Amino acid sequence: MEKKKTVLKCENLDKNFGKKQILSDVSFEVQEGDILGFIGPNGAGKTTTIKLVLGLQSISKGKVTINGYDIKSQFTKAIERVGAIVENPDLYMYLSGLENLKLISNLYSGISNDRIDEVVKLVKLENRIKDKVSKYSLGMRQRLGIAQAILHSPNLLILDEPTNGLDPEGIKEMRELLVELAQKEKMAILISSHNLAELDNLCNKVCIIKNGKIIETSNISDIKKQENTQFKIFEVNDIEKMKQLYPKTIKMKNNQCKLDIAKDEIPEVIKKLVENQIKIYEVKEEEKSLEQAFFEKTGGNVIE
Amino acid sequence: MSKLIKNELTKIFKKKSIYITLLVILAFVILTNCIYKFFYNSSTFYGDTYIEYAKEELAKLDPNKVSDIKMYIDLKTTVEIYEMQEKYEKDDWRRDILSVQVGTYINEKNNYLYGEDKDLEKVAQVQEKINKIMEKLEKDDWKYFANEELENAKLALSDLEEQKKNMEDKQEIKNLESSIENAKIDEEVARYRVDKDIKYGNDYRNRALNEYQSCAKNVKNYENSDQKLEYSDQKRYNTDLEEREINRYIIENNVDINKGNDIRGILRNFFSEYGLFIIVMVIMIAGTIVSEEFSKGTIKLLLVKPYPRYKILMSKWITVMIMILFSIVALIVMELIVGGIIFGYDSLSVPVLHYNFDTQSLEAINVFADLGLQTITQLPKVILLAMLAFSFSTLFTNSAVAIAIPLLGYMSADVINSLVVNFKVDFMRFFVSLNWDFGQYLYGNLPKLEGLTLWFSAIICILYFVAMIIPTFITFKKRNIKNV
Repeated sequence: MEKKKTVLKCENLDKNFGKKQILSDVSFEVQEGDILGFIGPNGAGKTTTIKLVLGLQSISKGKVTINGYDIKSQFTKAIERVGAIVENPDLYMYLSGLENLKLISNLYSGISNDRIDEVVKLVKLENRIKDKVSKYSLGMRQRLGIAQAILHSPNLLILDEPTNGLDPEGIKEMRELLVELAQKEKMAILISSHNLAELDNLCNKVCIIKNGKIIETSNISDIKKQENTQFKIFEVNDIEKMKQLYPKTIKMKNNQCKLDIAKDEIPEVIKKLVENQIKIYEVKEEEKSLEQAFFEKTGGNVIE
Repeated sequence: MSKLIKNELTKIFKKKSIYITLLVILAFVILTNCIYKFFYNSSTFYGDTYIEYAKEELAKLDPNKVSDIKMYIDLKTTVEIYEMQEKYEKDDWRRDILSVQVGTYINEKNNYLYGEDKDLEKVAQVQEKINKIMEKLEKDDWKYFANEELENAKLALSDLEEQKKNMEDKQEIKNLESSIENAKIDEEVARYRVDKDIKYGNDYRNRALNEYQSCAKNVKNYENSDQKLEYSDQKRYNTDLEEREINRYIIENNVDINKGNDIRGILRNFFSEYGLFIIVMVIMIAGTIVSEEFSKGTIKLLLVKPYPRYKILMSKWITVMIMILFSIVALIVMELIVGGIIFGYDSLSVPVLHYNFDTQSLEAINVFADLGLQTITQLPKVILLAMLAFSFSTLFTNSAVAIAIPLLGYMSADVINSLVVNFKVDFMRFFVSLNWDFGQYLYGNLPKLEGLTLWFSAIICILYFVAMIIPTFITFKKRNIKNV
């Protein structure tokens, strides 16, 4: 397999505000075509990290390189091919969507009007692009925010909570758009979100941050596979009866319950249940969601 | 960088607030012009309300009471003159004679009638003189009065010169000499009236004559003074000298140079009429151009673009400078349109006069050249105030502070200046408001404080500018963009 190019590299980032240490020793990489989910509870340092990456705040210690350029010493070259939304989609409310995009396009060379039209179509805003942004819904602002971020065809896209305010349809579209950008244009995408279910279906890598420290970086499939559970889920018609047979049964909703047994014990259990006239509708292995993995890793939301 | 500036200008001109401000300013320009057109009244005659008041007061006073006498005589004279004037039209030249020449006699008469030493015989004599004048007045021949005034002035002059011959005491001779100077000026004024055909009245030529008379006397007074003049007296001397020369020009050329109520008059005082509007507009822009981006969060949008931070800030400052020029030009255009509609453009061909103290002569200058010169000399003040607003806007990212403080500075600067000048607070020469008006160095005039020079002021202004711009740029470059 050919080696993918590293677009963003953070090495041992520290950030102090006065005596308070916000980030310590944060390191991660994003390669082209990767979508890295940046997860952490509120106040963990997600937005701060993104601001360090974009040069919006000074770095106390460590190094950020984008496309091989150092953000501190070669700022303009490093930021040239980066598109970003930080915190909120920052737009000029008194201008129309199109005027906002025109302002952005002025600041890069070689963005044609056709490119603007193309991007507007991509985010499906073509019907409202001439309206003032102050009349937009939050979801529309998010789309326009994405549009301004990808206008100059960057190879690194940094999105802070991009699905905020989007309806389910919008979230689905955004997910498809991001996957397309990552796959077709080999864009590297760094995306932070609270919506873990979102990232579950979107990212191929995750990075979990807590109290300013990275506690886990891995491929999303690896995280889910870290088996330390053997629960099997049974859907039966009479849980109470099953409980008498297996007192360790944990009751769940909708006639479901789970039982801590090994795989080869399953036929045994089924046999016993059938013998006791308990009807079995489904038996499956419990799959861990990203959310569970997240809570296990972070141990809940504690701001230090 | 030009793209950044273009973007900044787009942002400013897409905002509604700038058009609202321009509209409000336009309304003020129209109002100012209308006031000059319809309410400009330089009449020195007593208003009707004052006469009503004087009559009421008069009825309350008792001419037999010692404490009331002086007041009674004054008011009585005023009312009598007013009643005599009533006979004539409002702009009749005879009103002028009545208030000046007849007025003195009526005062004299009332003194003999009600004063402490009453003398009915003298009353009759004075009344006779009054009657004679009234007879002449009936003939409607103002030249008679002008000639008589000239004759009287000549007589008074030769009288004084005669006296001087018999004097021996040096001090007395000196006193007399200054009286002679004054008499010469009186004679000159009377001669001007006859030669230049200046009918009595209240028009600009009469005002010029009066001004000329008093200024010329003041000038002579200062010139003959033994002591070295104080700096403030030197300045007053300069003002009188300039006034004298300009009024002489008006009398000799029959041009109303000092006319205030036309488009030229307003343009001539452009910055004192409209300076506040320019400052308000400029400060409004300079005080929000950075802080608004911070409060709306759009600064992040700007800072992740491939431009170094100093270029982003520089483009904003250049935009402010462009807006300074825009505001000045916009106001001039408004005044030209509104003033032109209300007054017409005829007055623009009349030059503006300045007395040059270096060459000791009058300089005539085109209205627009004068306006250009005003702009150049006022520009440092506008730029410094804009820089102050821009600095605060960047340092505190708070629009309210960035607008309020420079505006306060602008409004209190005149008060501070006059305090400093009055009390001669010498160390305040390093304060910027005494130096930012370069109009004080035009035409060799004396600056506000003794010892200020053009170069000194230029250096002070530059120092203040640098002291503001450096921390502004450093702070902006180092600033951490906090979470909103």
